[in-house]
Amino acid sequence: MDALTSQYSVLLEKQQQLNNVIPSRLDRLKEVLQEAKKNLENDPSNWKESLVLMQQKSKAQNFQKELKDYSGAVSKYGKAIEKTFKQDPTIASDPTAFSGKEHILDRAVALHFIRQGQFQLSESFIKEAGMANDEEIGSSATELKFKFKKMYDIIQELEEGKTESAIKWASEHHEELNKRGSSLAFQLHRLRFIKLLETSNMEALYYGRTHFDEFADRHLPEIRRLMTSLIYHNKLSQSPYADLISEQDWLGIRNTFQRDFCALLNMSADSPLYISVLVGTMALPTIIKVVTIMNTRRTEWSQQDELPVEIPLPDDLRFHSVFACPVSKEQATALNPPMMMPCGHVICKESLTRLSKSSRNSARFKCPYCPSESSAAQAVQVYF
Amino acid sequence: MNKIKPEQLLELEQPFIKVPNEQLKKTLRNQTKYLEKEISNINDKIEDCVKKAKADRITSSQAMAIIDELLVRLRKLGRKLDDIKKEEQLYTTRTKIRLEHLKNTSQVAPTDKEAFNRWSKLRLDRVLVDYMLRKGFNDTARKMAEDSEISEMVDVELFAQSARIEEALKQHSCSECIQWCSDNRNSLKKLKSTLEFNLRLQEYIELVRLGKKTEAIQYVQKYLSSWSESHLRQLEQAMALLAFPKDTLCEPYKSLYDSRRWKKLIDQFKADNFALCCLTSQPLLSITLQAGLSALKTPQCQQHEDKNLNCPVCDTSTLGALAENLPLSHHVNSSIVCRLSGKKIDENNPPMLLPNGRVYSLQALEEMASKNNGYITCPRTGDTFELVETRKLYIS
Repeated sequence: MDALTSQYSVLLEKQQQLNNVIPSRLDRLKEVLQEAKKNLENDPSNWKESLVLMQQKSKAQNFQKELKDYSGAVSKYGKAIEKTFKQDPTIASDPTAFSGKEHILDRAVALHFIRQGQFQLSESFIKEAGMANDEEIGSSATELKFKFKKMYDIIQELEEGKTESAIKWASEHHEELNKRGSSLAFQLHRLRFIKLLETSNMEALYYGRTHFDEFADRHLPEIRRLMTSLIYHNKLSQSPYADLISEQDWLGIRNTFQRDFCALLNMSADSPLYISVLVGTMALPTIIKVVTIMNTRRTEWSQQDELPVEIPLPDDLRFHSVFACPVSKEQATALNPPMMMPCGHVICKESLTRLSKSSRNSARFKCPYCPSESSAAQAVQVYF
Repeated sequence: MNKIKPEQLLELEQPFIKVPNEQLKKTLRNQTKYLEKEISNINDKIEDCVKKAKADRITSSQAMAIIDELLVRLRKLGRKLDDIKKEEQLYTTRTKIRLEHLKNTSQVAPTDKEAFNRWSKLRLDRVLVDYMLRKGFNDTARKMAEDSEISEMVDVELFAQSARIEEALKQHSCSECIQWCSDNRNSLKKLKSTLEFNLRLQEYIELVRLGKKTEAIQYVQKYLSSWSESHLRQLEQAMALLAFPKDTLCEPYKSLYDSRRWKKLIDQFKADNFALCCLTSQPLLSITLQAGLSALKTPQCQQHEDKNLNCPVCDTSTLGALAENLPLSHHVNSSIVCRLSGKKIDENNPPMLLPNGRVYSLQALEEMASKNNGYITCPRTGDTFELVETRKLYIS
């Protein structure tokens, strides 16, 4: 990367030199011609000599050296690019993968814009993509826009430190939130309490009395802390309760609110397009490397319906449990579920049947991980 | 996020840097051509003038007229060079901004989540703008580039230029595209492109379609005969076309008359254009989505009871439908996520088996039991058990 930038600065230098030289030499050429013209007018007797002079001077105005330097720098820069970026991302993808499904892709993009709150972009996109007649998008788009506008309005207010509309929304939906086990309402009240604490002791006290009652069964310890922090009204930052004032909490509450709002709408917390592109960006370098190696060695990947390489995902991007049988290293599927033997070890069904068939004693076989024996009938299917 | 190496991300950015470089090279070529041609022309004219003067074939006033003419040419050259310089400046600034961006990317600490999120959002916007430009949604693309302040990281003008030519081809006019081919003749030859031949062939077909047979034959003699060694078979077929009327049912002449050839011409132009400019042949969005959806896809995504609200592939109406034919993700190691708490199951949080065959993490079960007098309820089946009835599992 550094080599590239330094090569580019050299290019800029040469370019600058060329740019400095061009106007001045062109002007000089002009002067030479005009001088000759004047000589012809003033001194008609020697006009042939003036012409010869003009010819000599104009020959001197050329740009060979600077042009050569500049093109040399440009080609060196091009070579540096070749060295730094060796991979063409296209080899990792199949051009026909989405053929016939372009309208689905467009739909996904339009939904993404609406989810991100970029409503004008979504309208303009729907118009240009000709999706205004698509029923799926048409009616649900306006509905979704309305809902997400509400969500973004509330988030905007939370950014400004105002919790009223969020609290109102939480109380309107408190049944569903409780079912999900969300503590959003309490956290909102808590933040409001802390904010009031900064100004008036008594107001915070009254607020706590009015609102904390319904949360007593689930959040008693925290409520205790909050009410005790009233003592330190003006000196919170030097008290043991200094951790109550935290910017991170406000950031966290916006995330929690967004998550709960979307969950109640039966939608994912983040735009699915964003997550897929994020994972794709992380996965591409590995896939490209593997495909390049496979191409040079002319090998084929044996399992056609799986990627040739494992892509390690960070924990918050794992949405499903994956069980890989320790014996066969294959993924468990509905046809090949994980089975637990009485000793507690889990392997997939196919490995189990293979083990029981190949053992000398037809009914019993040994677990590959511990010396205990079992029979195929004793294995239980587990559900993760 | 801490599994990303910044250098790996750089590998994806080949077209990012190559495109303005190609544009820069083009302006350099233009500039060199003009400068050298004009200056040598001017010098030649001067030499000619001097020779004639020495041979007494022109008068002094004629010489002055020649000088005036040369001055005019010089002025024109200056203006032309100014225009080229402006264009060059655009590409130079753009390259500088892009190099800056890449340098910042490579210096992002892998654990800095905020910075990584910002970078990912930016990349998503870039990928979306690229997609929209390729499909011709220019208004949305421009608006989005302005909103996200990524105007220098996307190539709006490049697509605008090619949009003109595509529009002309849609209107069944080959001239703009032929002009483009002659401008880029050398590079197209390196690609071994057959675009120019196909364009000429199409113009010939249109002449035959209108019944202008003599003109068609003259056209072939003028433009298509130079291709006779490489495309003999096709030329022969084309000449035979003269014998068939435009609504013939006889193959292969029926397909020669077919108006869908125009669509194929547009596609070929697009492909050659992208190859010349070093853009990827498919939209970045397709490439990235394929990789991402495959990496996320598990066998459970197709099954209804295992649907996870947050998993993009489980959503069958949009991304799930796209992922239908893609390969599954490959895993050699198990990674189990507890359905109750959503937390990862590992040595610190081992899996526990309930008597009904369902498995959850120990921490989630303990929490549930502590709130319910030691009893746990399986969320999937509703059965109740006591915590002590569970047993530990070993999955690796």
